[in-house]
Amino acid sequence: MSRPVDLVNDIGEVLLTEEQIAARVAELGRKISADYAGRNLTLVSVLKGSLPFMADLMRQIALPLRIDLMEVSSYGGTATESSGLVRIIKDLSASISGEDVLLVEDIIDTGLTLNYLVRYLRGKNPASLKICTLLDKPARRLVEIPVDYQGFEIPDQFVVGYGLDYSERYRNLRFVGVLRPEVYSGPD
Amino acid sequence: MEQRDLREDQATVARVRPAFAHHSEAELARILDFYQVRWQYEPDAFPIGWSLDGDVVESFSPDFFLPDLDLYVELTTLKQTLVRKKNRKLRRLRELYPDVRIKLFYARDFRMLLLKFGRLGLLGELSGTTGQATPPREPVVAGSALPSDAVVVADDGEADAEAGHAGRGRRRGRRRRSASRAAAAVGIDPASPVTPMPA
Repeated sequence: MSRPVDLVNDIGEVLLTEEQIAARVAELGRKISADYAGRNLTLVSVLKGSLPFMADLMRQIALPLRIDLMEVSSYGGTATESSGLVRIIKDLSASISGEDVLLVEDIIDTGLTLNYLVRYLRGKNPASLKICTLLDKPARRLVEIPVDYQGFEIPDQFVVGYGLDYSERYRNLRFVGVLRPEVYSGPD
Repeated sequence: MEQRDLREDQATVARVRPAFAHHSEAELARILDFYQVRWQYEPDAFPIGWSLDGDVVESFSPDFFLPDLDLYVELTTLKQTLVRKKNRKLRRLRELYPDVRIKLFYARDFRMLLLKFGRLGLLGELSGTTGQATPPREPVVAGSALPSDAVVVADDGEADAEAGHAGRGRRRGRRRRSASRAAAAVGIDPASPVTPMPA
């Protein structure tokens, strides 16, 4: 990224404010708390984008839960050309066998990564596996996977902030915003 | 078991490549390979236009079929203003074969996909052509067997191959039903492929 990052002016529109996100996360937390009462809940977060969502969501769930983190390689990453296949960069640190697992995602668009993760996690024999995403971009869906808990359905725009990045930047924005096209297109 | 299957998938994703009509298709194939989604390249041609003599004069052959998802994917990198013909063919396909699930990726969709994956170097190459129209093929009846040049990228072994055949059989059956419905909808006898189409 040769263009200098400008956390203010690179954002064309604030799609979701900090307050909107917080309110929705609290709602999700209440619903998850009710749905999983009396069960052994493990939240599995997918690095790196879902970190802020995971951190906020877990504190809105009034249950004794466990958390774990995973990271998978992304297409187009540095390792892509050599391996050519998605791989687990960071695996779960504990067994989820018999646990009720809630996979926490920042955004679902094509569903390709999620499809891989669901297949992988199902192989670890959890008692149940459900999906929670902050953002859902159904217009881009290639692999249809039922989403159990959805924060917001968003239009087909390139969004950053609250964990979501462009070229590893903008993750620390407290809101979700639409990146100006000229940021990734370059000047015409 | 699932993990072992995943490893087997990783080990058996073939590297054979068909002759893609456009490099955007090759890129999508690489993306699907990366995420271990099995695909076939242009395995089926769906008749969408007939002459008065009942001959197929126009077909639509979606770029990819994803067997595990029972989904066709058509990729167009044409500019939005130039996709009218493609949209018309897609509409026709959906009218005639309502059970066929197809996803159209426009240039913008694919551009955003490349952006998501940081493949910015390819963005400038998304020009496309007005092509990708299907030349006459034999057989042209929907539900026919996969053409011999169809490429199945992932071969999951004999057991899965049997499952694949069963799946393909179900798919063929579904397409035959779709073809029959399509034929009935436009006034031809499915058993008689030479029945003239109404104008």
